[in-house]
Amino acid sequence: MKKLLIPMLALALLAGCGTKADEATGQGAVQVDQALHDSLPQAVRDRGYIRFVTDASYAPMESFAADGRTIVGFEPDLADAIGQVLGIKIQIVTGPFQTALDKVADGTYEGVLSAMTDTAEREKKADFVNYFSAGSSIIVQRGNPHRIADLTGLCGTVVAIEKGTIQADLLHRSQSGCDGRPMKINEYTTNADALLQLRTGRAVAVLNDFPTATHLATDSRTKDYYELASTTQYDPGLIGIPFAKGNSQLRDAVKGALDRVVAEGIYADLLQRWNLSSGAVKAVSINGATQDQKA
Amino acid sequence: MTYLGASLLPIGALATVLLNGVQEDAAKQGRDQGVAQAAVIAEMAVAPALDAADLSRGLTESERDSLARATDLALIHGSVLRMRLRTFTGQVVYSDDGSTSGGVPVSDPAFHSATVGVAGATTIEDATEAGGKVIRVLQPVFARASGEAIGVLELYLPYDKIDQRLHEQMAVTYWRLGGGLGVLYLALGLISWSTTRSLRRYAARQEHEALHDGLTGLPNREAFRQRATAALREEKGGAVVVVDLNRFKEVNDTLGHHAGDELLKVITARLRGGVRQQDTVARLGGDEFALIVPAAGADDVRAMLESLRTVLSSEVVLDGVPLTIEASFGIALYPAHGTEVEELLRHADAAMYQGKRGTADIVVWAGERTRHPTQWLVVQAELRHALDRDELVLFYQPKVSLDDGTICGVEALVRWQHPERGLLPPSEFLPAAEQSGLIEPLTAWVLRRALTDQVAWVAAGRDWTVSVNVSARNLEAADFAGMVEAMLAEFGTAPDRLVLEVTETAMVDDRATSMAAIDRLAGRGIGFSVDDFGTGYTSLERLRGMPLVELKIDRTFVATVLEEKENQAIVHAVIALSRGLGCRVTAEGVETAEIADWLAAAGCDEAQGYHYSRPMPWTQISVPMPEAVR
Repeated sequence: MKKLLIPMLALALLAGCGTKADEATGQGAVQVDQALHDSLPQAVRDRGYIRFVTDASYAPMESFAADGRTIVGFEPDLADAIGQVLGIKIQIVTGPFQTALDKVADGTYEGVLSAMTDTAEREKKADFVNYFSAGSSIIVQRGNPHRIADLTGLCGTVVAIEKGTIQADLLHRSQSGCDGRPMKINEYTTNADALLQLRTGRAVAVLNDFPTATHLATDSRTKDYYELASTTQYDPGLIGIPFAKGNSQLRDAVKGALDRVVAEGIYADLLQRWNLSSGAVKAVSINGATQDQKA
Repeated sequence: MTYLGASLLPIGALATVLLNGVQEDAAKQGRDQGVAQAAVIAEMAVAPALDAADLSRGLTESERDSLARATDLALIHGSVLRMRLRTFTGQVVYSDDGSTSGGVPVSDPAFHSATVGVAGATTIEDATEAGGKVIRVLQPVFARASGEAIGVLELYLPYDKIDQRLHEQMAVTYWRLGGGLGVLYLALGLISWSTTRSLRRYAARQEHEALHDGLTGLPNREAFRQRATAALREEKGGAVVVVDLNRFKEVNDTLGHHAGDELLKVITARLRGGVRQQDTVARLGGDEFALIVPAAGADDVRAMLESLRTVLSSEVVLDGVPLTIEASFGIALYPAHGTEVEELLRHADAAMYQGKRGTADIVVWAGERTRHPTQWLVVQAELRHALDRDELVLFYQPKVSLDDGTICGVEALVRWQHPERGLLPPSEFLPAAEQSGLIEPLTAWVLRRALTDQVAWVAAGRDWTVSVNVSARNLEAADFAGMVEAMLAEFGTAPDRLVLEVTETAMVDDRATSMAAIDRLAGRGIGFSVDDFGTGYTSLERLRGMPLVELKIDRTFVATVLEEKENQAIVHAVIALSRGLGCRVTAEGVETAEIADWLAAAGCDEAQGYHYSRPMPWTQISVPMPEAVR
């Protein structure tokens, strides 16, 4: 009896230790999913990293830290989580938003991680893995000196906008409602340049994704200069990472990795950290824009 | 002074720390100013020219032009001395003079920190520039609105103007600091000076108080000891004199302590005035003074004390009462009478007491013979307790009539049942009592006990008179007569049943108080007897006025009366004298039947002595005494 007891006790102790160890690793990072890693294209695995391009002027999605070199935000954190599941390093490279999709199409980068909204138009150039949803909001100077309430209120004013964004597209489409008092739409390479125009009074409004707009109107460094014209979100849509057509192997691997990130709660945790929970999606999807239309 | 010196040390340390701090602060202020200037230059002149530039690819012609335009004026006017724009890898993509070499090494920590977003400034030596110093600033260039850094700006700014201003500021700070520390030091110095001074005064006062008597300001016993020790060490020979005031206690008791204190002051002044410069007058306590008279022989000292006594005994008026104070002096010579202060004091004290008992006021110690008075102090203290604890007992010695052998009276003799030394005869403690005020309560106690006992033996059928010894001091006491009268009244004793025995010596005292007391009591019918007659200095003239009932022939004449003709003649003479005076004669110290017979034959009235009875408690006195009858 005694001889039996001792090994049993030892087992129980080992088992105890084992669960504790599991919890410990679960705290730090996601474990590499070997199957997903193996599903990565051979070329990517050989190179050892995936490159995503971003315009880091879109807090809290991505922006430069005080040192002017490090990019911080929800999307870099999400990229880290994806990289951990895939067992590969993900590099974030800065570049203009307008040309980002083309750079993916021509293979300079594997994808865009810059809060890019999935549209039918863009799906012609790339396949989107969607992980977030948001509409567009109008940002005005604090105090709203021009009494802007909606898009039609922008008629006859100067509006600053980042080149190539769906918001730029939205503004151009809205010109039709301006009846001979068209908006003057000035387009800039980065969102920061557009916001600088608003800050200095050279433009009366900027359009951003709702989470970014909210961040500007609430963050202590910017709230003195900006506010939302209204809580209305225009053209709500899905945000995702575009991959080149024909790079479905990488696309699916990243999709699989995001599924894991969502399933393990890391996604929800990251959203909460960056105060973006309102934009959460229930499940990661591919080419959600056209899928929706089909549905 | 040491305190001042010591306080200089922390002040010096404080000054060093503060000055270092000021210098460091100034240097840091200079660098910070450089950084601030560089930040403005970078944001307002450099960054706008580089919008959208990618330094790793070099500058375009237009970027280079606009950068040059933006910075030309600053360079020409010397606001900026040199400038380089560098990539994060260290490559120089623009410089004020067009060269692409030089600049801070990439390995320099300052360069590295600029590449990670932290601006830093260093002052470096440059002999070619005004002031010999320039500020080098390395800082990241944030060229875009997004806050992205594109490279590192290396700027050299003139330091002379900053330096000059800092120097001016520092000079002001130095003055303030120096002034402040100076005032602090001064304050510390003043505090330490005043503290030291008051401490020193306090110490001096303490020392003075420790060695001086508060009332008279004279050196106290301790100081006397020190000075006497010093005098002894000089080996020149001299004297220690103890001075005791004879009736000081009376002054204190009758006129109050205030008068006593006044008297002591007067005495102090007189003592001081009566001694030489080199002599010391000290107050040992109470009315006891002591002198140190160095380098003087016995005759010198005696001569000095003679004149001092005269000075002391001149009249003093205290509270309107004229007083004459007399003093007793005891002299111990050193080294003849001792080489230790205590020993000399003891001897001088003994000599002084001897003088008090005798008639001389100035007595030089004459050996151990005068030793016992020192024990008197102990005896006096013990006797005081003895009275309280009722350790005294009264014995009685019968006086026998030589006519018929009957006991006609008893003499009360006090004994002391000492707890340690056993039953003590009066000679062991009466002199001590005599010398202090104790004799008064003692006599009162004896009188009361004797009268009490007399009541008892009268009740037992014995018709004895009782004789009580009374000292001169008793007679001098303020209301001795009143006390005796009150006691007689209390016990209902007939005055003629009480005889007060007074020594011849006591009668020598021709004081009005004593005589008044004797006259008053004798007038009441109380008998007076002269004790130890023939041994003192009684003037026959004095006997003439005395209301005496008895003369007691001293035992010295009686003991050898059978052998010595002279004594026989004296005894005959005394008997004859008493007949003439109309009083009876009692012989003391009768030890044999032969002497008793002789005395009876000579006409002596009464006898007292061991032949009849030793002193004993009255209950043990046997009556009749067949042996006693002739």
